[in-house]
Amino acid sequence: MITQMHLKGLMFDPYNNAYIVVLRDEDGHEMLPIWVGKAEAGAISMALENVAPPRPMTHDFMKSILDAYEAKVISVVITDLNENTYFAKIHLMYQDSEYTVDARPSDAIALALRSNAPVFAKESVLNKQSSEELEQWLENLKPEDFGKLDS
Amino acid sequence: MGEGKSPTEKRLVEYAVERVVDETNTDTKILVLTRRDGLPDSFPIWIGAAEGHAIKLALDTTLTPRPMSHDLIKSFMEHLNVSVRRVVIGDVKNSTYYATVYLENNGVERTVDARPSDAVSLALRTHAPLYVSEDVLARRNTANLEQWLAKQAQKSSSSEQEVRES
Repeated sequence: MITQMHLKGLMFDPYNNAYIVVLRDEDGHEMLPIWVGKAEAGAISMALENVAPPRPMTHDFMKSILDAYEAKVISVVITDLNENTYFAKIHLMYQDSEYTVDARPSDAIALALRSNAPVFAKESVLNKQSSEELEQWLENLKPEDFGKLDS
Repeated sequence: MGEGKSPTEKRLVEYAVERVVDETNTDTKILVLTRRDGLPDSFPIWIGAAEGHAIKLALDTTLTPRPMSHDLIKSFMEHLNVSVRRVVIGDVKNSTYYATVYLENNGVERTVDARPSDAVSLALRTHAPLYVSEDVLARRNTANLEQWLAKQAQKSSSSEQEVRES
């Protein structure tokens, strides 16, 4: 089973000096926080805000290469969580064949946003990552810790 | 997508990546290229910290537990059977360098516009040759270069730690 996830927000985690991409399912029952680095957070935030940088950023370049050969990103699936490392698969369609490529969720999400492709999470990942943990963490946050992207 | 001239129309000089130097107090790094033919010439390009890190990983052939962004690009290309023929830094406007990545798949060539940092990062991972056009070499911003050379001179005269990576 997989569940479609939506990007709820991107925020700064001052305790770990990292960023958190928060994915949430349609009805808000499941939350999936993914810790990412500064550069990856920047790549996601640019796509979220529809910022067109003067020069192609790394994920724009990535998409240009796929576009050059008319390869299309169909979907992204967050497949596993292992010792706080998330694994994702990018599903590509190219010349009537489907390809599955291993990726970090941050790259996969940055690319999905640029390709208007849906992001899914495997049920097992959602079960492993109890949302209680995130809620507890959120409670400890001060309002100013939230970035402008959080809605 | 770039519509760069083919290398036969442009005079090109082959370069190699020498090292990535940290700029103290800023969020930038300097990518230093040197001529393949051995003529003394260091060609520095200012790039972002994350992009510099990506190049360093490739230079040092560091294996990361998970694929980094440019490893993912390489992985896409392997799946689609696309190869990088060459990377050309072929233009400079307002101190910004422009690179073109030449791709090939079953005889079908495509060119993709890129920042030099992304293009070099991918070239290192795919063992593709890297060129700078003579036009760019003639028009490059020497103000930055002179400043940088002065700094390098200062560094080598002091006993500060050597930043050489190779």
